Amino acid sequence: MFSWLLQEVLGNLPSWLWPATAGAGAAVYFLAHLLANFPNFKPYAFFIKPVSFAVIIFSVFMYGGAGVTEILQAQLKEQEAKIAVAQQASSDANKAVQTKIITHTKVIHDTQVVYQEKIKEVEKKIDADCKLDPKAITILNGASKNPLGAAK
Amino acid sequence: MKKLLTLSLILFLSACANTMSAKITMNWPDTTPDLKTACPDLGQVDTSTTKLSDALNTITSNYSQYYLCKDKVDNWLDWYNTQQKIFNSVK
Repeated sequence: MFSWLLQEVLGNLPSWLWPATAGAGAAVYFLAHLLANFPNFKPYAFFIKPVSFAVIIFSVFMYGGAGVTEILQAQLKEQEAKIAVAQQASSDANKAVQTKIITHTKVIHDTQVVYQEKIKEVEKKIDADCKLDPKAITILNGASKNPLGAAK
Repeated sequence: MKKLLTLSLILFLSACANTMSAKITMNWPDTTPDLKTACPDLGQVDTSTTKLSDALNTITSNYSQYYLCKDKVDNWLDWYNTQQKIFNSVK
């Protein structure tokens, strides 16, 4: 509730308000000094002085806070703009990689198909000329197994 | 003199405007789904066959598998280096 009050009420006040209230507080403070010279107004001046002094302090403090908020908001906007540009660049880079993967995968698959066709063309001849010893297959399969498979 | 000192102390209240900074950070981006899958194991030749063509088919298929996997690693490196440059540009 308190943070909402700070955010919604104090956050939406214009920053020029605080030097204005500080100036008004200073004016009232000096007027109170003048009033203190008149016996009829002296008791009022006694109360007005600390109140106006407190208003000056509070206003200067809030003016500093408003300045901080403005600086931080400007920095945030700058950072947000940078991040938006970077996110777009990142998304574009992702799309470029994705496109490259699709293109390369197609080329590799197409090349494989070409070689499988070539094998089909000579399949009968090479199968007739050469019979594989099962030991050769065992060696080939053994070499193709991941040596880190058991270590995983 | 006392009043001047008090006034200067009040003005110091606003000095904090120069000592703070706002920062929001960018999250590390997610990669494309194709790069997230692991490379499969190499194919094995059917042990009951004696045909050279069967072995050749498996071998060429394994070559393709290798190039697909190599391409994945290359793309990972490319993706990482590009994203790191972009990420560092925001700091």
